[in-house]
Amino acid sequence: MAQFLQQMVNGLSIGSVYALMAVGYSLVYSVMNFSNFAHGGVIMFGAYFGFFGITLLKLPFPAAFVLAFVGTAILAVLIERIAYKPLRERKAPFLYFIISAMGASIFLENIIIATIGPTFRTYPDVFGRSSIALGPVAVGRLDLIMFAVSAVCLTGLVLFVEKTRMGRAIQASAYNMKAAALMGVNTDRVVMIVFAIGGMLAGIAGVFFGMKYTVYPQIGNITTKSFVAAVFGGLGSLPGAVLGSILLGIIETLVAGYLSSQFRDLIAFVILIGVLVFRPTGIMGKTTEDKA
Amino acid sequence: MSDILQVRGLTKRFGGLAAVSEVDFSVREGGIAGLIGPNGAGKTTIFNLITGVYKVTAGAVTFEGKDITDTEPYKIADIGITRTFQNIRLFKNLTVFDNVLTACHASAGYGLFDSLVRTPRFRREEKVLRDKSIELLSILGLADRKDAIANGLPYGLQRRLEITRALALDPRLLLLDEPAAGMNPDETEQLMRLIADIRDRFKLSVLVIEHHMDLVMRLCEHIVVLNFGQKLADGTPDAIRGDKCVIEAYLGGGDE
Amino acid sequence: MLSGINLIAVLGLSLLTGFAGLFSFGHAGFMAIGAYSAAICTTILKLPFAVGIAAGGATAAGASWLIGRATLKLKGDYFCIATLGFGEAIRLILDNFQGLGGARGWPGIPPSTTIWNILILDVIGVALLANLVRSRHGRNMIAVREEELAAQVAGIDVFKYKMLALVVSAAYAGVAGSLLAHYMTFIQPKMFSMVKSTELTIIVIFGGLGSISGSVLGAVVLTFLPELLRAVDKWRLVVYGLAVIGIMIGRPRGLMGGFELTPASLRRHFADRKEAKAAKAAQVAEDAELGKDGL
Repeated sequence: MAQFLQQMVNGLSIGSVYALMAVGYSLVYSVMNFSNFAHGGVIMFGAYFGFFGITLLKLPFPAAFVLAFVGTAILAVLIERIAYKPLRERKAPFLYFIISAMGASIFLENIIIATIGPTFRTYPDVFGRSSIALGPVAVGRLDLIMFAVSAVCLTGLVLFVEKTRMGRAIQASAYNMKAAALMGVNTDRVVMIVFAIGGMLAGIAGVFFGMKYTVYPQIGNITTKSFVAAVFGGLGSLPGAVLGSILLGIIETLVAGYLSSQFRDLIAFVILIGVLVFRPTGIMGKTTEDKA
Repeated sequence: MSDILQVRGLTKRFGGLAAVSEVDFSVREGGIAGLIGPNGAGKTTIFNLITGVYKVTAGAVTFEGKDITDTEPYKIADIGITRTFQNIRLFKNLTVFDNVLTACHASAGYGLFDSLVRTPRFRREEKVLRDKSIELLSILGLADRKDAIANGLPYGLQRRLEITRALALDPRLLLLDEPAAGMNPDETEQLMRLIADIRDRFKLSVLVIEHHMDLVMRLCEHIVVLNFGQKLADGTPDAIRGDKCVIEAYLGGGDE
Repeated sequence: MLSGINLIAVLGLSLLTGFAGLFSFGHAGFMAIGAYSAAICTTILKLPFAVGIAAGGATAAGASWLIGRATLKLKGDYFCIATLGFGEAIRLILDNFQGLGGARGWPGIPPSTTIWNILILDVIGVALLANLVRSRHGRNMIAVREEELAAQVAGIDVFKYKMLALVVSAAYAGVAGSLLAHYMTFIQPKMFSMVKSTELTIIVIFGGLGSISGSVLGAVVLTFLPELLRAVDKWRLVVYGLAVIGIMIGRPRGLMGGFELTPASLRRHFADRKEAKAAKAAQVAEDAELGKDGL
């Protein structure tokens, strides 16, 4: 039983990292209506920013952390300006966006490989390896902090979207960009802010991921899992993304623990296939019918 | 004269909203019928229900005596019904000729193997398709523009092209969704004659959704009036013109 | 040689993406299926190479049929993610399947691929594809790409044609995979990762969507170039990435988007130029005449 709980906790902790990744991605999807495949690259940069903040710039962790997510927020907005904005202005078909996103993703991954090199880096031990015992379960300090920060971020995000003016502007744009623009919403600004938030979340996720595992240029590929989580929970739904991620994290860990670690990555895809075949809108997604 | 199309108790609900509610009407074989009503009355929804784009919540659609309710949209053309759209849905980046040629595919008698290997059958059938496309384009007065890109055509001709494409499938019932939208009186006049011409030449039945009262009153032999998803009136143009409910709800005192 | 192999996969993807309008980010998975099936045929079952190639194409096609049934009804975005998922899933399964070498790979495949079989298959591949595109099947696919709803009411069974495009493109990928296996004499799941799938998609876009000649040119150029630029190999993908963004913004039609290099189009191009020159000359002459009359 203790084993099971332990696995649950582990699942929750990785799930919360997935949640940060998935929410950023889902947010962009809900407003722009396309899958930002470059999200992974931004997450990866977050990991590197944090890493170099600590090792190269010798910053204390909180400073490096802030550096990381500010850096990724800026990066995300840059990507938007360079790779997507021109297409938006030209009202290009959404598939062009995906390709551009792919290009950005490849660029990001390989610029790191070409400049810094593909070797794995490990974060220095910031929080110590000790774990806290919560009843029969041992929770790593890192995991606790990750979970706490994620919870804070996500709550902050929800509050922002629900309660602030900008948040409502984002909701309006997500519903219908053109209509929102007609009602005086500065959609350009909204897009920028959405990408900045997404980038910020990505940066945080990146740092945590790097700390929990290692830092390497292909971190971006892990985001395929966050796509799965977002789809699982329902593309375009933020609570859905969180729910989907946590479930994915838990299922993944349980499968790895009880079946075989070989299936850990595979299970994500099995879930994906399952969702797409049986309920493409995910757990909390909405269905739309095409008007003639 | 029998009815080629019968719609009985047709109902479509989107969540709590009933877009179309218990609508009954028929289209006589060889006739030109009109479907009118204010915006949002449910006219295009009815087209969508007939052509299977939307699934019915209740009711039935009968064509040539057979129940075709909820058939897959791509089978509708085979059954004998084709349509045009309110916002023109041409294959915009293809040429005028290709738009029609593509639609002729149903008349082709060759299969995949023939395409890949270019058998004599392929060549023969392709020629049949090409000839048919040219013929249709000539009849509809678009032959001299056949190599133009569909998107570059003037609006009126784009609508005509859409009708040509619909005809390429040898329909027996043609559904036209606001074919005169955006046209000036001259063009509308031409369109009217075109529709009557097409009906005679191709021996079709036609059901038209329109807002141009002029066109509807002069062209259609039978008119169905819709309002808020329900049928308001059903009869000849004269009857409709005199119907008090219709006048109150829709025609108002003057012209469109 | 490698470009010839890539070309076949690219041709297939070109049909799916350029003509049918479906983006697949997992096509390397089909190559992998083809490669491994062919390898099984030639090494374990000791069948001739030709059978191996056929098997490679057939198994990939079969797999795509299954995948298609599950995914083709999905909206654009979902389909992309699904293909991504499948591509990776196939790689992961192969990674863990020790019977076929697992992640360490499978060496010792007979080097049966020669420049001749590549060339022959390339030519056949292009011919078949060109024939397919210029038939009602091809036109229907293009119609689906342009306006799915209109295509439907024009009687086109959208699902069937999307499936056709998918299966054919997978078959091509499978054949390419088989050739690759017998060229490198060694296969490893890593060779068929998302990077490879993306590379293929990039070539199709670079060459131009909806153009077979574009895909041919793209495959040749983009496979040759890195071979020449071995020294700066690390930067190859960096430039790729930027190039893709650049193309999307500057010239989304790629090299030859929508156009085909055929004898007819070349003739027309030159005829147009001659006409333009003649018109210009006539204009000049006319101006000269008018000038002479002191107007």
